[in-house]
Amino acid sequence: MFKAIVSASTLRDALDSVSVLVDECKLRLEEDELAIRAVDPANVGMVDLALEAAAFESYEADGGVIGVNLNRLEDIVGMANSGDLVQLELDEETRKLHIQIEELSYTLALIDPDSIREEPDIPDLDLPAEIVLEGAQIGRGITAADMVSDHIRLRVDTDAEAFFIEAEGDTDDVDLKLERDDLIDLQSGPADSLFSLDYLKDMNKAIPSDAEVRVELGEEFPVKLHYEFGEGMGQVTYMLAPRIQSD
Amino acid sequence: MDFAAFAERADELEAEGSDLGTVALVADLLADAGDELPVVARFLRGEVFAGWDSRKLSVGPALCYEAIARAAGRNVSVSDVEARLADTGEIGAVAANYEFGGQTGLSAFAGGSDGDGGAGGDLTVRGVADSLAAVAAATGEGSEATRRDTLFGLFNRASPAEAKYLARLLLGEMRIGVGGGTVRDATAAAFLGAETTTPVDERGEKDDEKREDDAGTEADDDERGDDGDGDGERGPEDESADGDESEGERERETGDDTAELVAAVERALQVTNDYGRVAELAREEGVAGLRSVSLEVGRPVRAMLAQAGTVADALDGWDAAAVETKYDGARVQLHYDGESASVFSRNMEDVTDALPELVEHAERELSAPAIVDGEAVAVGDDGRPLPFQEVLRRFRRKHDVDRMREEVAVELRAFDCLHAAGEDLLDTPLTERHDRLRDVLDTGVSDLLVSDDPDEIAAFETDALEAGHEGVMLKRPDSTYSPGRRGRNWLKRKPDVETLDLVVTGAEWGEGRRATYLGTFLLSARVEGRGDPEYETIGKVATGITDEELAELTDLLEPHVVRESGTEVAIRPAVVFEVGYEEIQRSPTYSSGYALRFPRFLGVREDKAPGDADTLERVDRLADAG
Repeated sequence: MFKAIVSASTLRDALDSVSVLVDECKLRLEEDELAIRAVDPANVGMVDLALEAAAFESYEADGGVIGVNLNRLEDIVGMANSGDLVQLELDEETRKLHIQIEELSYTLALIDPDSIREEPDIPDLDLPAEIVLEGAQIGRGITAADMVSDHIRLRVDTDAEAFFIEAEGDTDDVDLKLERDDLIDLQSGPADSLFSLDYLKDMNKAIPSDAEVRVELGEEFPVKLHYEFGEGMGQVTYMLAPRIQSD
Repeated sequence: MDFAAFAERADELEAEGSDLGTVALVADLLADAGDELPVVARFLRGEVFAGWDSRKLSVGPALCYEAIARAAGRNVSVSDVEARLADTGEIGAVAANYEFGGQTGLSAFAGGSDGDGGAGGDLTVRGVADSLAAVAAATGEGSEATRRDTLFGLFNRASPAEAKYLARLLLGEMRIGVGGGTVRDATAAAFLGAETTTPVDERGEKDDEKREDDAGTEADDDERGDDGDGDGERGPEDESADGDESEGERERETGDDTAELVAAVERALQVTNDYGRVAELAREEGVAGLRSVSLEVGRPVRAMLAQAGTVADALDGWDAAAVETKYDGARVQLHYDGESASVFSRNMEDVTDALPELVEHAERELSAPAIVDGEAVAVGDDGRPLPFQEVLRRFRRKHDVDRMREEVAVELRAFDCLHAAGEDLLDTPLTERHDRLRDVLDTGVSDLLVSDDPDEIAAFETDALEAGHEGVMLKRPDSTYSPGRRGRNWLKRKPDVETLDLVVTGAEWGEGRRATYLGTFLLSARVEGRGDPEYETIGKVATGITDEELAELTDLLEPHVVRESGTEVAIRPAVVFEVGYEEIQRSPTYSSGYALRFPRFLGVREDKAPGDADTLERVDRLADAG
């Protein structure tokens, strides 16, 4: 059983954060939240999303799992104006999702959840450094790095108490230095890892520029990016595996 | 089996120069393949899925290059990959020259490991096959990213040697000298105890594969019924691809046992269209297992193909020819299990959804489960066939099928039956198969004329052309169905290469319905001389002429009649016909000393006077050239 009403913009933010990594996923319809966890086909990036029942106008669910084509679902939700409410209701008989947006109703065929790729083991990491900053600041670093390279280096200088976003191209280099005062918070620790911009660019697309982003970082370890949406009642964590720095 | 081990074997195969050595190496590899035998057998041929499987990898070069570039390290772009490709000319070599594995995977950090990157040689043959199946399964909106990420993930985990064959596999070109015949013979050698022999038909088949690889860019042509490869493209070596001939040759070369074992594998391949399953069957159940396989309704069989040929070829080689209309349509294979039907293209793609009329036709008209071979033809409002391109519009159609159906109606012309009511008919003679076809299907069955009379065949062709079709197919009446073979048992009548412009110097009144028309026309070539022009007879033409044309020709020629005797009339040289023929033979029958074989009327050369007609000298030259 699943029946929910949610604002179009909240649902859109939720779907966008997942669709940057995968084009189909499982929605876990827990009693107290809607949850999605998905790993990209190359096992490099992961998204973990929770949207609390309180984020919905109304929410009833009993722990079922459904599989959806995200692009299709995004297209449908894209038909709504930002103030609109979206009604979702699962038809258990036909295994289809009824979507009602104002006078528009849509019946979405679901995907067998078993046919969706199982996510591999996800590391449980305790990372030494934590940087809290605005989405816009990360976006600025990523945009600058993208001008010169397809990789980005994130590091914390424990002496200077600063967070660096750097990129090295064939000819040109980019450096963005954010000191403690530029950041919302900084827990300094040894942290220096290289990441693929392909993934980070996509993740950045979903991060609202005014969101507070908590970055967990280590040395040659995956990075974790946490942020909230839906007035704090939706939480997203991205995890991205590093590239080897030796080259 | 580790993919690294497969890559190592593939390298050995690539380096092996002799066909015999190749078969031996493949036999060893198949014997060592264990659980992954079916996948290994397909990979060797550059295939991810069984031949009958309508799943397609659909990875184009661009996607492959993109995945390589992403996995290749810092700041490698698609254009870098393309530049290297331009230098080396081969994607496998390009892939093998990059250092992959710079990107770690999340799972590397899950087990408390320190995460030492991807290029750890952990790819297995099965794992690669599963990932490629996932790539094939990703369709529709947004799937491009999924396919790219999956391929990136594979390359990222590949060593240089693995990357080489991964890239080649993606693009379906293994370049290790393993043709279908090699896998067949190696299967027999590895599991049935056959001697290792040189596959005599290998050369032809490899060429065939190359051409199929190219087919992506020539999809239009490839869809075309029996015409896919066009005339004249195929060299004489292709003739050896004919099943009967190669088996005959094999018996002379090796013992009967080996020939028999190889034939058992060959038959199982024809029936199942699956190198993987046949290899496994040979290993698990031996010859008996291979012999027990039968066609399965729902699994497409490779279509039997035709060579270009002439009526003379047919009648010289066979007692009689089975003649059928050659449709300008797209080849289809209909499978009906008694309840529902599916339709497959010549490439064994599932086109069921695109051609609902054929499905409805099969479900309505077939009286028993069957596999039917035929053509889908587009028909205009006037009932005349529309060009092939119109049929293709339907084949490619995924959406709005109903609307397209209104625009271009497609009909079935069934001409063969591979399975009927639980019985496989591959080994049944053509004429009997056609009878069985008529038994199970009432409508949409192509007419079959069995004849040894050239005139009757020519008349059949005239009717076919008149109805707007391409011409005729000539088939050996007692031949069996050889899937995937372009043998000599099916001929598509070659269009006339040269035509002659000849003067009408006589005619005969027709009979029956045509009694009031001049029919058979006596033709003459011009002899260049000093005085009055002279004409020497060279043959008679009576075919290729419609009733309407006969009336017109009678009106045109009657004023020039100089005398009549019985039904024969002599005609003053005035009218020039363009005439097609298959051959010029020396003959005492006509005054020129030549006779045209299978002459056909093509038209009146209104623009030519008798003095402009072809000369006997030209006929001499053409006869010598032929």
